[in-house]
Amino acid sequence: MSQRAKKNARFAFMLTTLVAAMIGLSFASVPLYQLFCQVTGYGGTLNTENVAAPTGVSDKTVKVRFDANINPDLAWRFKPLQREVTVKLGEENLAFYEAENVGSKPTTGQAIFNVTPFKAAPYFTKIECFCFTEQTLAPGQIVSMPVQYYVDPELFEDLDTKEISTITLSYTFYPIELDESEQEDGEKINLSAWVTAPNKS
Amino acid sequence: MSNEATAHDHHHDHKPPFFQRWFCSTNHKDIGTLYLAISMVAAIIGGLMSWYIRLELAEPGIQYIDDFQFYNVLVTAHGFIMVFFVVMPALIGGFGNWFVPLMIGAPDMAFPRMNNISFWLLVAGFILLLLSAVIGDGPGTGWTVYPPLSDSNFHPGPSVDFGILSLHVAGASSILGAINLIVTIFNMRAPGMTIHRMPLFVWAILITAFLLLLALPVLAGALTMLLTDRNFGTHFFDPGAGGDPVLWQHLFWFFGHPEVYIIIIPAFGIISQVISTFSQKPVFGYLGMAYAMSAIGVVGFVVWAHHMFTVGFDVDTRAYFTVATMVIAVPTGVKIFSWLATMWGGSIKMEVPMLYALAFIFLFVVGGVTGITLANASADLVFHDTYFVVAHFHYVMAIAAILGMFCGFFYWIGKMSGKQYPRGLAKLQFWVFFIGVNVLFFPQHFSGLAGMPRRIPDYPDPYVAWNYISSVGALITAVGTLLFFVVLWMTLRSKETVGANQWGVGATTLEWTVESPAPFHTHEELPDMTGKAPAE
Repeated sequence: MSQRAKKNARFAFMLTTLVAAMIGLSFASVPLYQLFCQVTGYGGTLNTENVAAPTGVSDKTVKVRFDANINPDLAWRFKPLQREVTVKLGEENLAFYEAENVGSKPTTGQAIFNVTPFKAAPYFTKIECFCFTEQTLAPGQIVSMPVQYYVDPELFEDLDTKEISTITLSYTFYPIELDESEQEDGEKINLSAWVTAPNKS
Repeated sequence: MSNEATAHDHHHDHKPPFFQRWFCSTNHKDIGTLYLAISMVAAIIGGLMSWYIRLELAEPGIQYIDDFQFYNVLVTAHGFIMVFFVVMPALIGGFGNWFVPLMIGAPDMAFPRMNNISFWLLVAGFILLLLSAVIGDGPGTGWTVYPPLSDSNFHPGPSVDFGILSLHVAGASSILGAINLIVTIFNMRAPGMTIHRMPLFVWAILITAFLLLLALPVLAGALTMLLTDRNFGTHFFDPGAGGDPVLWQHLFWFFGHPEVYIIIIPAFGIISQVISTFSQKPVFGYLGMAYAMSAIGVVGFVVWAHHMFTVGFDVDTRAYFTVATMVIAVPTGVKIFSWLATMWGGSIKMEVPMLYALAFIFLFVVGGVTGITLANASADLVFHDTYFVVAHFHYVMAIAAILGMFCGFFYWIGKMSGKQYPRGLAKLQFWVFFIGVNVLFFPQHFSGLAGMPRRIPDYPDPYVAWNYISSVGALITAVGTLLFFVVLWMTLRSKETVGANQWGVGATTLEWTVESPAPFHTHEELPDMTGKAPAE
């Protein structure tokens, strides 16, 4: 190889590394995007790390609406037990969803969630939620799923969000396929023992 | 120096036999010619599709295309073909291969065999794209391939997979070509041809190649995610299982916005050469021109979200992307004013390439002004997905790039073929085409402002007038296109030959020092550029 050919080959190799790095970056963007959304509340993503209890209750109120969706691949029924509540800012509240396995075998699902308007996300905090973990339902089993949340009074201090009067909390359950060993070791909550289910109304 | 080089080339100008020469070529000029040829073939196919679309849109109601999926397939394929298989092959593969080595005084590209692979990968990609349209229902996703429309629920069957594979292959072709061009430009320049003495066309190709290198892998990554979402049960873009379709839009436009500069920057380079040549003056503000292109390339990577203002950004994000987008008008303005300043006080010759260069500036400015309009997030919410956007991008990047290609063709065809194009007919072709595209696309601003949505084969009566005029414009453009192929045919058959420097004192770059047509091997003795002025 001549001197020039070596130089060219070295340079081409460097450029190929750059291409590889950009491909890597495009895949790295998936977790990075997730992280970015959680940190900024972008796209209505809620922060679920280091959740603090509310500091004070305000007299101001906001409406919270509840929405439930189900991935067609999961043979469950899933609905909120209350459509809408009016809550005081800073006050801890409990809401319930109900899920039923209408399929013929035990299935595991996980719920993802966001709030609209997106910009309300930084001020909507979940203290405890069925969506933090995977849920397994036996055929025909009906469970109530609680979510404990509060709306930060800062909502009305922020110029961008002070006009908000209604926040919609939305969940989508999708199936998780686990192999046997994972199902045994997996961190799960025993739903029946967790809270007493409210009366169905 | 010029005599030495030509005399030398003359004795060694033996070409390989037909099959070896055109199918196994490693010669940058032959590969450039192949790229130009595939671009013309693809242009006819992509053009026929657009004329069929305009035929349907000439009147309200459904006349010709009653299969709406097929209409979507036409729109999609037209976009893909024009972007990936017409403009990029002609400007980067065609003129880039032909003239980068000639202009920097290199005997060939750095990796001649890789050059061959790049070209044939492009052919494979083109065939895959054509197959995607005839297998299954065809990809009716638009060239942006947004999920959920492009996922397996809404596009079952192999069409979209073929399209994805086509883009992968064409992308690999472009990345290899870009590596080749960058290495050539950095390592193969003649002695004394410093970076700041390179002609602006070479600068343009260098910047384009870097954009390709940084943008295309991101498209490849995103396409791979879409492919696995469709076929292997991943959920990158499926909101029902923790994915996010907006992520696709971010990734696509992180590629897609630089892509529009990939298309237009080589045309900038051609226009700079041509305006300098026919004003018989060095280009005004050479360094400013070179670094304006670099700035456009850099800023082009941080404005992508202006294509997706409607996904629900908060007000700060919109403000940033609006301002960043408008910042691009600054280096672009530097280029426009430098072209005008180059012409100012020059001895202007109105040859056909110069006409095309002036037409380019006109179209690019019109498209740039509507671009500033669209950059406003609040206004864009209204304009989004209307014909105003269609008119904007056809002006600023599609037709402007086509005019840049015609400009380069008439500027260099003498060098490439050794023949003189028929001057009168070429001028007629210019005027027909120029009038045609303006009658075609200018009215679309008005239908767009009136709210006519894109990608719909039918429209209510209030839009009749401008659509009819637009379709008449498409007919005029079709005549202009046909005339181009007549001009091409007559040029190649012409008995009138041209000398080494067809354009006289204004043509100062190195390609004009070799004879016409350029011999099979050029610059075997490297020209010495030490002490020459920039781009001389």
